[in-house]
Amino acid sequence: MRRLLFIPYIVWMGIFVIIPIGLLVGFSFFDIEDNLTFSNYREFFSWSYLQMSISSFWYAFLITAFTLLVCYPLALIIKQLKLKMFWLFIIILPTWINILLKTYAFIGIFSREGLVNNLAAQLGLPELQLLFSDVAFVIVGVYIFIPFMLLPLFNSINSIDQSMISAAQDLGATRMQVIRKVIFPLSIEGVKAGVQVVFIPALSLFMITRLIAGNKVVTLGTAIEQQFLTAENWGMGSTIGVFLILFMMIIMLFTRTKSKTIGVGRL
Amino acid sequence: MTTVHLTDVHMQYDGNRVLDKFTYTFEAGKFYTILGPSGCGKTTVLKLIGGFIHPTDGEIYFNDKKMNGIDANVRKVNTVFQDYALFPHLNVYENIAFGLRIKKVNKQTIEQKVSRALKLVNLEDFKARDIQALSGGQRQRVAIARAIVNEPSILLLDEPLSALDQNLRIDMQYELKEIQSELGITFIFVTHDQEEALALSDEIIVMDKGKIVQTGTPKDIYDEPLNRYVADFIGESNIVKGTMPEDGVVKIYGKAYECVDGGFKPNAKVDVMLRPEDIVIKPHNHGKINVDVDTVLFRGVHYEISVYDNDGYEWIIHSTVAPTEGQPYSLDFKPEDIHIMLPGEDEESFDKRIEQYEEQLS
Amino acid sequence: MKLTGRLFLIIMLIVLYLPIFYLAYYSFNSAGTMNEFESFTFDYYLSVFQDSRLMVILMNTISVALISSVVATIVGICGALSLYFLKSSKIRASLLNINNIMIVSPDVIIGASFLILFTFLGISLGSVSVILAHIAFSIPIVVLMILPKLYEMNTSLLDAARDLGATPSLILSRVVLPQIKPGILAGFFMALTYSLDDFAVSFFVTGSGFSVLSVEIYAMARQGISLEINAISTMIFLIVLTIVLIYYFLSTRKTVKRGDLS
Repeated sequence: MRRLLFIPYIVWMGIFVIIPIGLLVGFSFFDIEDNLTFSNYREFFSWSYLQMSISSFWYAFLITAFTLLVCYPLALIIKQLKLKMFWLFIIILPTWINILLKTYAFIGIFSREGLVNNLAAQLGLPELQLLFSDVAFVIVGVYIFIPFMLLPLFNSINSIDQSMISAAQDLGATRMQVIRKVIFPLSIEGVKAGVQVVFIPALSLFMITRLIAGNKVVTLGTAIEQQFLTAENWGMGSTIGVFLILFMMIIMLFTRTKSKTIGVGRL
Repeated sequence: MTTVHLTDVHMQYDGNRVLDKFTYTFEAGKFYTILGPSGCGKTTVLKLIGGFIHPTDGEIYFNDKKMNGIDANVRKVNTVFQDYALFPHLNVYENIAFGLRIKKVNKQTIEQKVSRALKLVNLEDFKARDIQALSGGQRQRVAIARAIVNEPSILLLDEPLSALDQNLRIDMQYELKEIQSELGITFIFVTHDQEEALALSDEIIVMDKGKIVQTGTPKDIYDEPLNRYVADFIGESNIVKGTMPEDGVVKIYGKAYECVDGGFKPNAKVDVMLRPEDIVIKPHNHGKINVDVDTVLFRGVHYEISVYDNDGYEWIIHSTVAPTEGQPYSLDFKPEDIHIMLPGEDEESFDKRIEQYEEQLS
Repeated sequence: MKLTGRLFLIIMLIVLYLPIFYLAYYSFNSAGTMNEFESFTFDYYLSVFQDSRLMVILMNTISVALISSVVATIVGICGALSLYFLKSSKIRASLLNINNIMIVSPDVIIGASFLILFTFLGISLGSVSVILAHIAFSIPIVVLMILPKLYEMNTSLLDAARDLGATPSLILSRVVLPQIKPGILAGFFMALTYSLDDFAVSFFVTGSGFSVLSVEIYAMARQGISLEINAISTMIFLIVLTIVLIYYFLSTRKTVKRGDLS
């Protein structure tokens, strides 16, 4: 009986987790002519690929940092509201709309005659070339990731006992000191979790990159997509994928949380 | 030294009145206990003095300074919280040093003061410990040290012993009392535990439904409870209905007994209260009220005896000798053990009546 | 502080909803652009419904989501139960780690590795590959939604059922499954959301003959602005809003009622 239950799950794990990763690693050792070789790895360490990795990390860092900067005060504010769960829900609600649609909306908002430029014109500012720029890419990235960062932040800030805050005030701390010396250190696990859920996907964005940044930004994600679907060089694509997995594991190691939840293990 | 006055303080949350016309003066250097069941507004009083909340109406003064609207972080008052509220990300030393660091006190002074505070609560060897590694009693001490290291003129304690087990609680009662007399500062202690209140306080404030019911020394309140509520809340009591045909005489079940109270209107309807330990069990027909013994429970120091009188009213008696269950006995008590309470009388008219009656006697 | 906080919250709400309302507003623009609003029209809504290709894709998307979430929920229940009943905590931990690899892996990696997998297994890209991929990435989240419910379950319930003579299958159907029902529902709901929200994985495994909405919209968006997309997104938003609001108010009304008793 129990064995019978186990079969579908184990089969799924084998076919869709273990084998794909094995295949990805395996393919990384073949070049475009199906020769067994290390050339893909050599190429990954060439200047152009290193540059791409660095810029991908830089943009992921910017997106994560700005998302955190926006979400932390937001989480603090929501915590103080009376109907906090309702407001949190209202903020999370737009996530149920496909990311693609929201990204598409930004094409309109940032376009030459779009909303932003209309406002700029009314303020007497020169026309901005926002669409297909890296600024736009970072803005849309931050926009997309706000709910994902907000949830773990809010959960950890909200779970801080009110008496901790009262105690800090009682001992003479001002509002800013309470945040700096008590709330922030006590919510550090939430910050780590938030950084984790934003940084890794930000590293591998490709749809937003293509639609909003045009060719201005190349990320590990766009590189993989390009190798697989345009250049049809699966070997090189797999190699980048292997490195992306490696980076992901390193980031997870750094942002490892002391989670007490049963079942949520780590890599 | 700071005297705290609260004048006609009202507190309202979402239309619910949690504190009503609270007026009281806390004198410097005394140990006060605010006693009452949960929801009676006692913690609200503490929060108002601490500055965590501000009154809907009424005034709070520290000496002559009006404190309405002044926040907790600038008041020279510190609190020991019910769940201790120790910072889990800081160790024992850093928890205690928190307030001093906020005030930017120099390192050496912090070191000295923290060491002194640790010594006062007998935790010298626990400086570098994590909070999670401490027992309940140790956490309690750290919480006290963290508050007193700031040298507050008033220390607020919000049911600080409620999370401890019985033995530790009694130890901590002694220690609290000792710390208070050593520091000489005002302690305002909130509890629902009457034993704690009686053991620790110089003054007790009994509260119910957001109002002060009675104030006084532990002995005053125990011996002369104002009404049924206080009598039931502080200690155990037997309360029967009676009338006062004249001063010094109370009628229970149609029979008159001598007592020491007076100053009522003739034939006033009163509650007659007798403490279980003041009643003596005598052989049948040899006391004042005949009863049948129902159950006898051994309580360690004494027996708790439940008896029924002829009107079916249950009495509880504490005695060191055990009567036989099911047998008839008689209850006896002295005139001064009879406490007369006038239903609906408040503290003010109670005081006035006693004063007048004493004048009249002398 | 209070005021600036409120202001910040309001600004954030405006920003978060701006793209959605922006799309909705211009979906009625007869000028066919997303800037100057010319006059009100329903044309784009009509053309969405008249566009049979788009309607087929919409049906594809919904069918893929429903089929994949049902299958993923069933496999997920099996997975969660077997993890829960597993005796060795070491094996459980490593299985959970494998489960979590799928959750944290970037979409691009999942998409690319599935592309290799399907090619390797000789499964042609189309409806089957998309459904399989969606089932695959939904299972781990279903497992993670159900597992905590299993651990919350009072184990003496199982002993009590056994004591009363229930067979293992009866225990499962009469005791365990009712207990973890909220987890199963949440898992199904999450799987549905994941499937409807997915772009990257589908993008890699759709092939040429079959398409889902997000992939189609991507193709349309790359060619520039098309107000049909606005019309679709507005309709999706309204549907999602209705469902989510009903769900929210039903669930909060229950808790309010419960709260009244205390």
